[in-house]
Amino acid sequence: MTFINYVARELNCKVVYYGPGLGGKTTNLQYIYDITNAENKGKMISLATETERTLFFDFLPIDLGQIRGLRTRFHLYTVPGQVFYDASRKLILRGVDGVVFVADSQEERLDANLESLTNLRHNLKEHGFDLLKIPYVLQLNKRDLPNIMPAEELTRLLQVKGEPVFEAIAVRGEGVLETLKAVARQVLVELRKSA
Amino acid sequence: MNLNNLILRETEYVRIKSVLMMTQKDLRADLALLIDRNGQQIAFEGPTYAIDLTSLASLAAANLAATDGLAQLVGEPEFSILYHQGKHRSIHISDVAHKFSLVLVFDESVSLGMVRLRVKRATAYLEEIFRGCLRKIEGNSGAPRESTQAKSPIDFSDDDIEMLFWVMKPKIQK
Repeated sequence: MTFINYVARELNCKVVYYGPGLGGKTTNLQYIYDITNAENKGKMISLATETERTLFFDFLPIDLGQIRGLRTRFHLYTVPGQVFYDASRKLILRGVDGVVFVADSQEERLDANLESLTNLRHNLKEHGFDLLKIPYVLQLNKRDLPNIMPAEELTRLLQVKGEPVFEAIAVRGEGVLETLKAVARQVLVELRKSA
Repeated sequence: MNLNNLILRETEYVRIKSVLMMTQKDLRADLALLIDRNGQQIAFEGPTYAIDLTSLASLAAANLAATDGLAQLVGEPEFSILYHQGKHRSIHISDVAHKFSLVLVFDESVSLGMVRLRVKRATAYLEEIFRGCLRKIEGNSGAPRESTQAKSPIDFSDDDIEMLFWVMKPKIQK
């Protein structure tokens, strides 16, 4: 749920990066953190295990500057991808404004992608959201690896409603900013519609 | 109290700030912060220069959400209070109207009993403010919009949206 503080003239939106474990959700946030001006980003919080697997969430607040005098802030979250952290994953979706699904392009991860997508649909529903109506972007990550599925085939299998699809190599930053821009644009357009 | 369509105007915001200020001063707390259940800051009072409020709000909300999950697992409707005791500083998080949370950060000179007393009072005041907001919304429903109301700042163009993101400088790919 977008929070508009008219007194402080601030707009706060929440975007969640969803997807299977080890798909590159945290890497997306790390790259965004790296390329954002120091004065426009908050601290990046990672609640991770000792082996750097996300345990609860990663959180990165960024300030995108002003839009018609309203300071526009996006709070970016990732969820833990591992299947058994479903209870935590569900909590992070509370009050979400937009979702990025980070798919792992490797052939052997197709089932994990499909399972995570079903899980996203189900968990959104529990919070009263419909995947078909919420701002949503699909990112096909790890396009630099040798054993990947063709982008067209992966899109055919994972695209749910004609959402924008971006090929990405998050470790190099390719496609990361484009993905964020696309979901942010959808969130703001949606907000304008509902205003 | 259904607070899903709550609109806080400046008068209520000022009253919320005064409740937070009173609580913060009474307890000589480092911080009195009101957040919503999604982790957005509503208002705060206190010398907070050393605390990252955005992170605190996000973590407190996550902490509460996790605690709600724990409560459901053991068959409780909720655990309405969270208390973290540190060596020098402690954090007390409590529910306000099932929609907001009051976060207090205070030092070892304040007793937990005193904190609970002041939180109870502050919660009653805050809930009264929110009830007042709801009465106003219900009273205004169906009434024409005030002619003095400014044009919504949400009325931005596609170009305005494109202007964002200048704060990010993509690295040059090799």
